[in-house]
Amino acid sequence: MIPGKLVRFLEHHANVAFAGTRDSDLVPFGHRVSGWRVGADHRTITFLFPDEFHARLLESLQQNGALAVTLEEFPSHETYQFKGRFVRHREIQDADLENVDRIRQRFVKSLRPMYPHAPEDVLKRFVSPPSLAVDFEVLEIFLQTPGPGAGTRLVPPMDR
Amino acid sequence: MARLPPEIRPVLDNGTPAVMVTCSADGTPNTTVISQVYYVDETHAALSFQFFSKTIRNVRENPHAFVCVFDIAGQAHWALQLAFERSETEGPIFDAMEMQIEAIASMTGMSGIFKLRAADIYRVLSVEKVPHAD
Repeated sequence: MIPGKLVRFLEHHANVAFAGTRDSDLVPFGHRVSGWRVGADHRTITFLFPDEFHARLLESLQQNGALAVTLEEFPSHETYQFKGRFVRHREIQDADLENVDRIRQRFVKSLRPMYPHAPEDVLKRFVSPPSLAVDFEVLEIFLQTPGPGAGTRLVPPMDR
Repeated sequence: MARLPPEIRPVLDNGTPAVMVTCSADGTPNTTVISQVYYVDETHAALSFQFFSKTIRNVRENPHAFVCVFDIAGQAHWALQLAFERSETEGPIFDAMEMQIEAIASMTGMSGIFKLRAADIYRVLSVEKVPHAD
């Protein structure tokens, strides 16, 4: 179960995400994530991937199911990593595009102080339109905010 | 072995944040934000070892790593496949990375949190520029 505090972080604050998979030889690959939405059950998250990061994504997920995704709020650096299993994939729906638009706006707003003169469309292009939705069951959540607590497992708690 | 193109050098020198993916021996991937990818030479990059982390444990049991560098000015990502070779705790690479990481920490409000323990040296296996979609 994803704690309420982290659901709020994902829905309102996180503005950049990156996913990791691996192949049958344990070679890792990375995939930029354009958007995400927490499932109503608070146990699953749908991640939205752009075309340019599809390489090896579905092949690896269907072969072994392992997925890890780090989500960060820039520039505060509050960061969490979600690990779990691939459930299913589907095509993009209108609601997914609206979801990515909201996250893109959040991301551009966070970058603006660093790039005060960059054209809006240049910054917006950093979050590509999604072309694939992947449902993912969350099994573990780790704190990754830089500092001595980084790496602490939050879900399930460390003593279990 | 692949070679880092000259075009990537200014991106790395600017201290752009990056994301690293590793995999444990039991097959669990791990993703983490890293503050620095240091250009060593055409065929090697160094990553900062700051905390005793899952990433550090993973690359010592499975040397494969994937790094994605965000090139906002160049409107692209750089995707690098790397293989861990060795760790250095002193010398010119360590000293240069330590100086750069202190500057990054100062700029990002992370002074006192970022501390370089070692410079981990990786061989570049492949490098690909991934342009942003239009």
